[in-house]
Parts: sequence; C-alpha cells; structure tokens
Amino acid sequence: MIIIHAAQLAAQLTLWAEDSEQPSQSGHALDGRHPRSVDVRNLTDAVGVSLDEPTGAEMEATIWLPSRGNSPLPSEALAGPAPRSRAKPRIKPWRVPVISLSSTQAIDLLQRCQNGRVLTPGTALGPDVAYWRHVMLFAAGLTVRQQFLPNVIPHSDSTKAVWTPLYVGDDAHRLAELARAMPPSARAMTIASADRPPSTPPQAVLKEFISSLVNHIVRQDAQEGTREFDSAHDAWLHALTTTDGAIHAANAQLQQLRRQVAEWHRPIAVAANSPYRLCLRLEEPPEPDEDDPPAALREQDWYLRYLLQPHDDHSLLLPVNDVQEWLSPDFNPTEFLIASLAQAGSVCPPISDTLNKRSPSGAPLDAEQAHQFLTQQAAALQQAGFGVMLPSWWTRRGTKNRPTIRAQVRTPPMQGGANMTMASLIDLNVQVAMGDEVIEAEELFELADLKVPLVRFRGQWVEIDADEIRAAADFWRNRDQLTLREAVRIGLGADQQAEADNVSLATTGWLSELLESLQQKSQIRLLDTPAAFHGELRPYQQMGYSWLDFLRWWGLGACLADDMGLGKTIQTLAAILRDHQEGNEKPNLLVCPTSVINNWQRETQKFTPSLTVMPHHGPGRERGERFTQQAAKHQIVITSYGTMTRDRELLASVDWRSVTVDEAQNIKNPVTRQAQAARSLPADYRIALTGTPVENHVGDLWAIMQFLNPGLLGSQAEFKRRYFTPIQAKRDDEATARLQKATGPFILRRLKTDPTIIDDLPDKRETKQYCNLTREQVTLYEAVLRDVETRLEGAEGMARRGSILDTLVRLKQVCNHPRQLLGDNSAIAGRSGKLARLEELLDEIIPAGDRVLIFSQFAEMGAILQKHVQETYGIETPMLHGGVSRKNRDLMVDRFQNDPNGPQVFVLSLKAGGSGLNLPRANHVIHYDRWWNPAVENQATDRAFRIGQTKDVQVHKMICAGTLEDRIDLMIETKQQTADQVVGATSERWLTELSNTELREVLALSTKPED
Amino acid sequence: MNYYDYEYTRPIEAKGGIRAASRRGEFGSNWWAKRWMQTLEQFRIGARLSRGRSYARRGQVLKIDIRNGLVEAQVQGSRKRPYDVEISVRTIGPNDWGRLRQALVEQPVIAASLLSGRMPENVEDAFEAVGLSMFPERRDDLETDCSCPDWSNPCKHIAAVYLLLGEEFDRDPFLIFRMRGMDREDLLGEEFRQSAQTIEGPPLAPEPLPDNPETFWTNPLPALAAADLGAATVPEMHAALPRQLGRFPFWQGEQDLVATLEKIYAAASQQAAGVYLNQAEP
Repeated sequence: MIIIHAAQLAAQLTLWAEDSEQPSQSGHALDGRHPRSVDVRNLTDAVGVSLDEPTGAEMEATIWLPSRGNSPLPSEALAGPAPRSRAKPRIKPWRVPVISLSSTQAIDLLQRCQNGRVLTPGTALGPDVAYWRHVMLFAAGLTVRQQFLPNVIPHSDSTKAVWTPLYVGDDAHRLAELARAMPPSARAMTIASADRPPSTPPQAVLKEFISSLVNHIVRQDAQEGTREFDSAHDAWLHALTTTDGAIHAANAQLQQLRRQVAEWHRPIAVAANSPYRLCLRLEEPPEPDEDDPPAALREQDWYLRYLLQPHDDHSLLLPVNDVQEWLSPDFNPTEFLIASLAQAGSVCPPISDTLNKRSPSGAPLDAEQAHQFLTQQAAALQQAGFGVMLPSWWTRRGTKNRPTIRAQVRTPPMQGGANMTMASLIDLNVQVAMGDEVIEAEELFELADLKVPLVRFRGQWVEIDADEIRAAADFWRNRDQLTLREAVRIGLGADQQAEADNVSLATTGWLSELLESLQQKSQIRLLDTPAAFHGELRPYQQMGYSWLDFLRWWGLGACLADDMGLGKTIQTLAAILRDHQEGNEKPNLLVCPTSVINNWQRETQKFTPSLTVMPHHGPGRERGERFTQQAAKHQIVITSYGTMTRDRELLASVDWRSVTVDEAQNIKNPVTRQAQAARSLPADYRIALTGTPVENHVGDLWAIMQFLNPGLLGSQAEFKRRYFTPIQAKRDDEATARLQKATGPFILRRLKTDPTIIDDLPDKRETKQYCNLTREQVTLYEAVLRDVETRLEGAEGMARRGSILDTLVRLKQVCNHPRQLLGDNSAIAGRSGKLARLEELLDEIIPAGDRVLIFSQFAEMGAILQKHVQETYGIETPMLHGGVSRKNRDLMVDRFQNDPNGPQVFVLSLKAGGSGLNLPRANHVIHYDRWWNPAVENQATDRAFRIGQTKDVQVHKMICAGTLEDRIDLMIETKQQTADQVVGATSERWLTELSNTELREVLALSTKPED
Repeated sequence: MNYYDYEYTRPIEAKGGIRAASRRGEFGSNWWAKRWMQTLEQFRIGARLSRGRSYARRGQVLKIDIRNGLVEAQVQGSRKRPYDVEISVRTIGPNDWGRLRQALVEQPVIAASLLSGRMPENVEDAFEAVGLSMFPERRDDLETDCSCPDWSNPCKHIAAVYLLLGEEFDRDPFLIFRMRGMDREDLLGEEFRQSAQTIEGPPLAPEPLPDNPETFWTNPLPALAAADLGAATVPEMHAALPRQLGRFPFWQGEQDLVATLEKIYAAASQQAAGVYLNQAEP
C-alpha cells in the first residue's frame, strides 16, 4: 500500500509517498533517506499523473517528520507498524524522492481525488492531499469572484508582474479557518540541503499556494515571448499575461513602478491589513404608540449601525465609537473605519453623508432608503466583503411580509376516485392576501399609494410594490382553471411563474389532503399488507409501501431511497402486488444491474409468488412479437440496464403498468443512453430505488425526477439556473430549501440509524446476495465438473470421499475468484461476479461510516480480499488468519473495537476468527463463502452480535446463483429443522454420502454467464 | 500668433509619456483639484493653461517628480532633448506644520479621511484656524522655469505639467502637502503614522512544526466539512477591485488600464468557474 502525501515546496504542490511494504527501521545504508519512501517512477505510477515534461534526474527533498529513534513514524496504521521505541517523538529530517507538480498537474490531481475511491489501485491519499483539495476550491472561488489585484514584486534576477489574491471581509475569515485546519505535514518539506525544519506559518504557506493557483488560472492563456514597450506601465500590463511575468524595463522605471503600484493599492491595502471588518446592522424604528398617526412612518426612523467584527472571531461585534483605543503599531482603526465607510458609501450614499461627522456611529435612513438597503445594497455590500445584519423578519421572510395572490381552488367532489388524473382541470378563484388574511384589493392599493415600500401593517413590516402586485393580480384573475398537475407544481413551489408572482394556493377538500400528504408523509394512511403477500412488513415498511401506493394512485413517480438493508425490494413488491390485486393487469417492468437480477427473481418468488416473473436478459432472451406476447402474460418482467438500452424499442412497444429502476444512480447522467432509454418507456407510474442519498447530489436529481415525473422540475436548463448553479456555486440555502420542497414529496429516505427505524428492526437481519459468474468462472466451473466425472468413475470408499471433498473445495474456489483456484497471483479486478457484488455492498457500507466483518473459510481468499479492498478503497484492512500471533490478534481486535480511526473493514478466516472474539462494533457481517453448517456460520455472525451491541447487525450471505452454493443453500433451508442431524457437528462430510446422481444434481451448473 | 509659437507647435512624438486621463474638458474633478485650478486662475495663469492641453493629452510629459516643495518634470518638445521644467512652491515652515498637525490630530475624522485618500472639505478650516493657507496665496509663492526657448510663462511645457498636477490632485490629496514641503508620513505624526501596508498583508511570525504525531497528520476534513469556502459567483461587474482603486498615478501606458484589466478579469472568472465546478454539472 502506497500512501501519497502532498506538501508545499516553493509554492508548488510536491508529492511524496510512504510504502507500507518497506521495513520501517532505517539502516545505515539508507543515509538519511526515509526508509519507506517511494521512488519517483513508482510515485508517478501511483498518482497517475501524466507528466508533460520529463522530471529529469531523480528529484529529492527533505520531509521533516515526527520520529522515534531511527525511524520516522508512519502517518497512519495503513502506512505500517509504529516503531517499537517508546522514546518521545522528535522532528527529524528524511530525504524522500518527490514530484513537483506544475499548477496544471496540481489542479488535475486535486480534482481527481474528490470521490472516496483512490487514484490508482494500491494507493491511498494522506490527509494533506484532501486538505489541498479544499484549498484549491477556495482559490478557484476567490478567482471566480475576482478577488485579486495586479501587483509588482522584486525577484532575485528580475522584477515580476504578479496577481495578488486579496482576503477581505469573509475571505479573511475563511483564510484564517483554512490556516487553522492545515495538517502540519502539509508544510513539513524543505529543499534537500536545508539544515533546519521549516517554520513558515500555515497562513503564509497557504497564501503562497493560493497565489500560485490564482496566477495560474488568470494566466491560462498566457502569451510567450518578450516585447518592447515605451513605458514601464505597458510592459507591466503585458507581463501580467505572460508565463514568467518578467517586466522588461529600466531599473529606475521599475522602482518607480513599484512605488506607484503600492500607492495605487493603498485604499485596499488598508482593508486587507485590518484584523476587523466593518459590519452594518439595520435597526428598525421603535414600535409606534397607539395614538401615533401613520404619517410618522415616513420619518427617518431606521438606523444603520456601524460595528467592527474581528476576522478570527465572528461572534464579537464592537461599537465603533471607541475605536481609537485599539490603536496598535500595525493597525490604525480610524483610518480603517473611514476607508471602509468611504467604500461602503459608494454603494450606499447615506453612509457617505456621515463621513463629515466627527465620530459617526451609524447612518439614519428613511423607509425608502431602508428598503433600498434591504433589497439591493445589502447584497452588494456583502459581496464587497462587509458584514451585513438584517432584521430577522426580513431574512426569513416568506410570503408573510408581502402581499400575495391567493388562488382559491374550488375542489370538485371526488367521484369514485380513479377518474381524477394529473391532467384533470380544476376551477380557481383569485384573491389578494396579506399573510394569512385576505384583504380587499382596494385596501392594498391604498397602502401602496403611501409610496412607502416598507409599511407596518397590523404590527408586521410589509414590503409593497404596487405595480408588481397589480400586474400579477391582473394576470391571475384571468385564469379560472388549472390542471391538477399545475396545482401540484404551484403547491410544491416548482412553478416559476407562480413563484415570481407570489401566488399561493388555497385549497380545500381532497386537494388539500393530496398536497398535505405529499409534503407530510406521516399523513399518509397506512394500508394493510396485501393478502397474497408471503411475509410480514415491519411498521416502517408498511409506511413505505403505503407511500408508494399513494403516489401510484395519483400516477406520480416515487423514489424510495432507504438505507441498504431496509427492504426496498419487498416494499416495492408489496406495492406492485396491491396494484395488481386492484385489477391492473398490465405487466410491470423492473430494470436493475445484472448482478442483482437473480436477487429480484428470488425475492419475487418468495414474497409474491402469485406474480409471475419473466427475466429478460442474456443471449437467449425473447425478441420481437414473441417477447410482447410473453410479457403480456407475466406480471413482472426483469431486465438489466444493458439489455434495456439495447432493446429500447422493443421494450417501449409494451404498454407497461409501471417501470421500476433499481440502483437508480445508473440513470443519474441524463445524456447517457440508458437514462434516455429509461425515460422513453411508457408507463402509468414509475419507481426509482437507490440506497445512495440522492437528495444530496443536486446534479443527479434532475435526471431521476425527470424519469419519475417528467416536467415537474422544468427543463434541464431551467433546473440548472434555478437550483443547480445557486446551490453548487453559491451555496444558496434558499435554493436548497426550494429544491427540497419541490422534490421532497417524491423521495423517501430512511436511515438505519433513525430512532424510529432502529426500534422496528430485528437485531439481526439476514440477506442472501445472489451473484453471477463471469464467463471465465463458468468455463472453470465446467472444467472442474468434467474432471470430477472421470475421477468418480469407479472410485469408492475413502478415495471417492476424498475426490468429492476436493471437488467441493475447487468449485467453491471458482465461485470465489479464479485467482484462488489457479493460485497464480493474476489480476483481481473484473474476474469474479461475487467480488463485483461485494464491491457494490462496500460502496454503500464504507461511505456510510459503517464497519464490516468479512469471513471466508479460505485464508488465501482472505488475502485476496484484503489486498483488493485496500487497493480499491485506500483504507486500512487488517486480516486475521491462523498464522497471526496472539499478541497481534489482540492488537487488531483492539484497534477495530476502540480506535476512533480504526479500520472499517476486517477480513477474518472462519477458523481463526469464527469463535472467541468479540467484535460488536461491526454492524455488517459478510459471509463471502459458505460453510455448509449453519451452526458454524451463526457462531461467526455472533462475533458482531453480542450483548452490548446497540446497532443492528446485517448479515449478508453471498451465493453464486445456479451453482452448488445455491443448491446446497436450498437444501439447508428446506431441511432447517433436521439440518443439525443431517449435517453433523462441523463438517461437510454429509455431502460425501450422496449418490453419484444426487451429487451430479447438486454440483451441476444451471446458469449462464453475465452478458 | 507669433513666429515661435508656429515653429514649436509640432513637437517630436513622445513615447511612454504621461497621458492625461481626461480626454476633454477640465483636468481634475474633486473640489481640491478645482481649488488648485482656481488658485492658478487667481494668479492669471489659468487662462494660459490651455496651451498645454494637447501636450498633456498626447503624453509629451515624460516624467514628473515631486518632493519637498519642488516639482521637476521633463517634457518632450520639438527639440530632440526634452525640456526640463521646474515648479517650486513656497513651503510651510516646520513650526507652522507643528501647529497644523496639532489641529488635525484633534479632528481624527479629518486625519483619517486624509489617510484614506479623501480630502474633507473642512480641512482648509484647520489651516485657517492656525493662520495658514493650504494653497499658495500669492503669485510669487510659485516659481517656474523651463529650459525651452519660449519666453512666455507659463510656456506650453509648464502648462502641461500644471494640468497633469491638477489631475494628480484628484487622486492624491497629499500632493498639495508635498508641494508645500511635508511628506505624508510626517504630516499627522506618530498617532496617524501609516504602517507600510501592502495588499500582501503583514509578515507572519514563524511557527515550528509540532512533534506530536497525533496532530502532525490531523485529518482536516472534519474541520473543513462545515467550513464555508465562499461562493463561486461570477460578479456582475468585472474588475470591480481595480475600479475601486481609482486612477493609477501618472499612467503612461498606451493601453487603457481598466479596459485591459476588465478583459483579463472576465476571462479569469470563466476559467476559475471551470476549475471550481469541474465535472459536477448535471
């Protein structure tokens, strides 16, 4: 395992790495080199950087690390064991090979390491790399906002034109936060010849790197070559856009240029050096007396108070009256205050007027000015780096503080229920309202005629724009009908026009209930489990199924995004079954990844045996007319994403009752062919299932919503403008809330950790994970079978028994991984269907912060798993097998159980780890292969499930469909009662008692490889 | 029009000279710049300044140096060698400056305004209160000299320098103090001494590496997960910062500074937005 680190050296991101497989002790031969360092070539491979220019000779630098005795301490457990010495750690220099990244390479690298997975197999990223990624985002944001100025700095050999980033207002605060978060390792590097450890403070290191990124971005289209100019000023402007930035002019001219630039910068330099920022607080007029005439409203009663706020403590607000007292050698508060007020005054003129006063503490505003401040200037001032504090009624204003159009819907009585669709028309009655009260339009217009934009109306501050409200009222008065779809869109705030016009929907009757149930899922009436359902729904599943049914009834699409293991499948099946029992005979289509087709098929047979299932995938699948006829005869057709895309037209020719997509993240990219294919399938309603938190990925939401409820969120461009860009780029909380309101009704996500869910869950849940074989596995499986046929021919007694046991082992190996059978250290990824399924499980388990035990009965398989998990996820993965010393075993167990940064994945061999250990921190147990003895398996499972376990435990048993694993599992299931007697204590011997014919049936392969 | 005027109206084209920012109309727009022009009018210099106009606008003035009551300039005329122009202004004596400083310090807002590049209108009152005048009062408070053969004073070379000074007044309120013998650094005394501030910020104290392995590799993510790294919103107006700074002192470039910067800033925003959003777009 290689752990990549990034430190800053001479404004460049410089990479080095630790290799856990090297010994930690440094011998004399190393001569000051880091014992576990990685050479440049391996480092380059590990990072996957394409180096434009060859790095030339081996580059070396010195990294200063906490060390004990002769060894540097490893950065984390994954990097190797800590040295035995108990001496107090001291900082020592270690020479390491490094790659110095150009800014382009640095940006590329930091962009690539954004997801949990590692850059290349077998590598992990140090905390410093993650840190620099945040710094890059900050630098990019700063550049987008244009917070930088052209500057001149003297260099050893020339004077250079540079762009200097500015940290004013909030950015100064952000810079301080980033500096605080910097891991010391990020600034621990010096050039190889340095003789003392670096002591550049974090903030200086940070600024240097940000500056180099900003310069790189601004000079993206840099010109090459030098040109002659008559004035140093033109030479400077030109140099600002060249790669090296050298200014070509006479020395005297350059000196003058430096003076002039410094003078030019002066007003902003004052702000950039200030430890404070100016904060403006708008204070509203005092509550008027009962007897006061309303005319008093127009007087200058609003007040804009000036306060100073330290960058490093935003909770402090200091009045400006006594700033003189804070005078220090580096900071002149009066100068800063006046400079800031002058700057703010250019945005908000009333502030300028106070500059002539002796010691201004604030600016009085009239209602008009206060309104302008609230609606326009506040945002501009905030953008310019000032703190702005507005009255709370304004910041959390909704329609309450503005006149709104109220569309009173006259709900027609429901007739028999089903004949209302989203396209049905409903009647409207339009009124004007203020808050909750309907008011006469005349009364409103009277208020508007006061020509004051902010008035106190019945004790509430109200914003009034007469023209706007008149225009909107006219527009909506002329509408007397809406479709139900429009009403839902308005009700959920997804309709832009209505939103712009402040339209609120007043509803009664069933429409109210509909909207309420959409927004408050707890309002949904719980349904009984369908009669023909084989199994029991837990209370939260009952709720999920009722919710699916509720949306289905209205023809709306639903995204069930429950945590893994909460039973999305059975909730969906229950909903489909109920729909079928209500007399909807059309077939339902289910699209899922190939790896879970088997799972779906089995769960359907188990829970809803009355629904007939037709898998549609693989080379032998039905086509054309025959498919259409067959599909019509079944209730559920299951297909894979790949097949759906290939057979798009064929599938679109069927009139589906519903289309369900499992693992819906497969259609999150709307331009892919499978997303388009999914959208093109006609259906009465749709369901999307996913275990990942879709609601957090704004970009992905549109595609899933467009599949579920076409048009609800508008076009993609509209969506991008309204939600994506504001949320992604501006972190706009209001846009987030709007998006949540519009999409929330269609997404149900419950976590295992929800208190209500935990109570519902059994202590231990078992799921069988059915996997497919790859083509290679099928070939190997058949080869082993042919071999056993010949060997069983005529064999008897011990010889026969031996052959059978040997064959069992070899077939299990094939199911596990070809490499295990072949024992040849060949490649791991992409060759085993079971491993692919394991990855899918880990993809959900690891990001969720859960902990998992993986059991295998084979030590060699355990080693393969350990290697693969470490290399794919870049996380420490210990493995416990028979060869581990008692001391090390206790250490592993202790780290897994008690270390806050302990490993999330623990691989154990069934023999070494199956008994005696106590590992209740795990909440997943995966049996990668099966021991055909339930008692042994249960004992292993109990490692995690012990008294003291507060989380529930989920047990996954991995089974390759159509193989001996599948068949023996079935035998155990059916013989559960007598299993112990049949199977005996801890052996698989009972299998050797079967006749040749029985055995052939058990071992035979009845599956096709994945297509 | 006399013979000399005709002869010398075609100066040698100057390269890299100081170009007046105003293309037409008056030089200088703030009240104190206007007061400067009024002062010149009073001395009957004002009317003759128009002859310096085209020189000032075409960048014939090659450089201007101002220190302690003396303005030295070089102006490219029709001869190969540029003419030397000198304007000396009667300075205010150290004792008088001392009294003035006292008066200013008692009015911190005036002092602070000056420091932040603004000239409060009541600053002249502060001068008057101690019996001084901010601008020269008599014609002979100003002495001028030019190495050109033109007899008239001001000649167009001197006039051009006057005009450019008018513009510089606009930008730097301290110019008048310097012309009267007082540098910005000394004017307001210790209390209002400006630290040598640059936009790079003050130097920071060194900080040694910690030797504790626990903190040495701290994972920054928990601290940064909730941190606000700032929006990445492309501003509505490009190059707002350099615009805020106002004019560059004695700009000599052929290119317009703000217009050039505006293009660079706009392109930079685009580039950076690409880096920021990466492939996260829907």
